[in-house]
Amino acid sequence: MLALVALAVVFAVLAVLYLLAVINFFSTTTGSPHVKHAAVLGVLAIASLVGASFLRPRASSSLN
Amino acid sequence: MTAWQAIFMGLLQGATELFPVSSLGHAVILPALLHWSYRQSDPTFVPFLTLLHLGTAGALLILYGRDWAGIIRGFFRAALRGRIAAPEERLAMLLLVATVPAGAVGLLLEAPLKQLFATPRAAAAFLVVNGLILLGAEVLRRRSERSGVSRQEQEEQFKVAEQISFRAAAITGAAQALALLPGISRSGVTMTGGLLAGLRHQEAARFSFLLATPVITGAGVLEVPQLFHSAAPLGLYAAAAVVAGVAAYLSARFLIRYFRSGRLDPYGWYCLAAGIVALLLLR
Repeated sequence: MLALVALAVVFAVLAVLYLLAVINFFSTTTGSPHVKHAAVLGVLAIASLVGASFLRPRASSSLN
Repeated sequence: MTAWQAIFMGLLQGATELFPVSSLGHAVILPALLHWSYRQSDPTFVPFLTLLHLGTAGALLILYGRDWAGIIRGFFRAALRGRIAAPEERLAMLLLVATVPAGAVGLLLEAPLKQLFATPRAAAAFLVVNGLILLGAEVLRRRSERSGVSRQEQEEQFKVAEQISFRAAAITGAAQALALLPGISRSGVTMTGGLLAGLRHQEAARFSFLLATPVITGAGVLEVPQLFHSAAPLGLYAAAAVVAGVAAYLSARFLIRYFRSGRLDPYGWYCLAAGIVALLLLR
């Protein structure tokens, strides 16, 4: 669970860096904000947090 | 692009987006066959197509508005609780698992694949491949169907969208990345994935349409701003997007009814024939 939270933080930081045009890996232009990359990384961060939420210790689950 | 060309493209995109015949492939091939003078490599061409996709996404949101309200509620409930307790919560998580890989892969492959947009022959070849995918899906499906019963009874032995596995949803979602290739239909590959995962035809179409909405909306919202930095006729493009939305709404209503007992075969044969004819004419 903690690994997924850490991953979510990494994705969120990368999203901000793309938005600020600090990094430009996997992109065709440099020096401008990469909104699409930031959006996808933001979604990945949310997905990681959801995954972490599902891995919280609990007693039982029904439809999982 | 003239007004009639833009409206025609809107009608074409809306009518073909949800049919498993590749709207993008048609949007690339038909103008070349008709010898229209505008360049598909023009920087405003892809944003224009994306605007048309937004019209389609709007139609899907209207058609599945109630489903989406339940899915969004279900997403937050399940995410906060950390457990799935209702069918709509499971559907929300299935859509998340199916959408995220497609988005990530799409982002990485977008730039190289966009270069293919300007080659109608490549789109025609991929249309043939799309036809083979659809026909292949139905061949595999027939092997797992009971014989000697009606089509409705055959369909009832299969699942609804909420019942498929997360693995199947992830594979179906990842297959969407193939639709970056003009000629490969997004709804075609996702419906194929749904059928192989054991969904009823109507449910495979529903899952495909639900899956398309966030991807199309997201791509549209991110691409459309490019239009504002160009000299594109925005009013005309917006009118074309409305035409696309109306055509998509009518197409979706037709397909939902058709797939109660219908199959992908007619669309597979159509893609095969259209792709071959286009390849011959575009020499």
